[in-house]
Amino acid sequence: MNIRTARQWMVTHEWMVKPMAQAEWIQGKGVLVWLAEVFSALGTGLYLVSVFFALKEDFAITAFWAGIFGWIMIAVFKLPLHLAYLGKPWRFWRAFPPFSNAWRTSWFSRGVVFTMIYLGFAAVQLILQGLVAYGRAAFDSGVMDANYAFMVLAGIFCVMTSIYCGFAMSYCKSVPFWNTGLLPIVFLLMGIADGLALIMGVGLVTGEDVIATAESATRIMLIINALLIVAYLVNANYQSITAELSVKELIVGHLAWVFWLGIVILGIIVPFAISVASYFTGKEATAGLLVFAIVCHTIGAFSLKYGVLKVGIYRPLLPRTQAY
Amino acid sequence: MTRWGMVINLAKCMRCHACVAACRIEHFLPLRVTWPRLIAVETDEGYKVDVSTYPVRCNQCKEAPCVDVCPTEASYKREDGIVAIDSNKCFGCRYCVIACPYQNRTYVSRKRDPGYFPGFSKTGFEKKGEKLYPHQRGTTEKCNFCMERIDAGLAKGLKPGIDREATPACVNTCQARALTFGDLDDPNSNVSRLIREKSGFVLHPEYGTDPSVFYIDYKLGGNDNKAPIEAQTGSHIQHLSSVYEPVKEKLAKRYE
Repeated sequence: MNIRTARQWMVTHEWMVKPMAQAEWIQGKGVLVWLAEVFSALGTGLYLVSVFFALKEDFAITAFWAGIFGWIMIAVFKLPLHLAYLGKPWRFWRAFPPFSNAWRTSWFSRGVVFTMIYLGFAAVQLILQGLVAYGRAAFDSGVMDANYAFMVLAGIFCVMTSIYCGFAMSYCKSVPFWNTGLLPIVFLLMGIADGLALIMGVGLVTGEDVIATAESATRIMLIINALLIVAYLVNANYQSITAELSVKELIVGHLAWVFWLGIVILGIIVPFAISVASYFTGKEATAGLLVFAIVCHTIGAFSLKYGVLKVGIYRPLLPRTQAY
Repeated sequence: MTRWGMVINLAKCMRCHACVAACRIEHFLPLRVTWPRLIAVETDEGYKVDVSTYPVRCNQCKEAPCVDVCPTEASYKREDGIVAIDSNKCFGCRYCVIACPYQNRTYVSRKRDPGYFPGFSKTGFEKKGEKLYPHQRGTTEKCNFCMERIDAGLAKGLKPGIDREATPACVNTCQARALTFGDLDDPNSNVSRLIREKSGFVLHPEYGTDPSVFYIDYKLGGNDNKAPIEAQTGSHIQHLSSVYEPVKEKLAKRYE
């Protein structure tokens, strides 16, 4: 019997009979989660990159301001957006130890703790970095030694802040597309690439010569990220039929424009092309072109999180549809 | 130890929705909040029409992902195996809603709780509900096996699953006797015997959540999925028709 002539439809209640897309974290108020996660990637990426640039005296001012912007993105955008999403925001303190021991099992709770610790260490580090950047302390003084120590501490918690949302999502067996260990790595490395793009913008304003260094790092990161995204999608494609549906939805479904235009073209190809062009011509890209690349890259960051959240599809409930 | 569980006989369920109504009345559920659900798949393959009905509710998993992910410990597991929610602790992050592989949790929003007659005064049912079983907007809810009834019944020396007063409302209401409630840890309980004798099965055992809600029927129970491949692919195509068009043909060919 030709299956395409077979009629089958759902009656009474279609809930979880066929694969359903998750809506809680992307539709309606869920948009706030998406925005918070984007600022998380941008903020942590920018801060991590700023830490590396802070190691060189020539880039001290750029590293300082990049760190400040990264910190602001987490403290002023990410956390308040997460808070605004909560049904009972004034109960936020319940996620913190000692009011809750949920950090032992909950990635959400761990993430909140990581973020707060990161913000504390990073605030101290940025004060020390500011002292060095604006000549209040010498680069080889004890202040810089303390700065190194706080860079390490803040850097570790920044990485954890960056990856926890990937772990939180990959924990969900209900959504096979997310249920992979690659997700935190994708979020971390894409965040670093975003940070490299943003620090070029900071460099344009401060006038320090960070662009050449950032561009060469961007080239490598974009190649790694492109390969990682391909690996992620191929892995999901063979993981389960529901994950395969998510992949198809992203690549050829009604979210294809987000993937191809947002993630691939604007997020990867355009910044990579501008970066490669400056490599072959031997000249740095013009300020206008750099700003264009940064904007494209940032759109890519928004698109990546949107696409991943939007194609999260639950595996159906019934044995009859166990093919999924 | 006691572990409360439920066995649902799919062959007996006649899709009357009495369990859904009983739960609504018992817990004064808001308009668009439903703890137990009845889902049905109707297949018409030209020569054979079949309707499969599945009453679903929180599986009260032994290894509950919703409890693990809850950042405030609002979701917790009782000693009797019931997974409960402390609405006063929940801050509405909805992580549990997403993490539940059975999608049995509901976030109570203004949209889901607009009042039974929006724009008009509250009904007597709603007013009573506010006093007897208040629901907090901005928190998550789910079936709790009527734990209040169980606790009150046990305090009176009654036996849940046997004495009506100590048994979940849906089980009491089911006129086809499709629902059975009892202690899974007691090998001689009614539920343990049903599971043993009629090959009880759980939904998605591969998740490793160890649910406390078992199903028995004469088509699937204890055996591999015997649903014809046409039915599986039929539902696949149904899904594809609503999700994405371009690959529908490709996947259809694969299953031909």
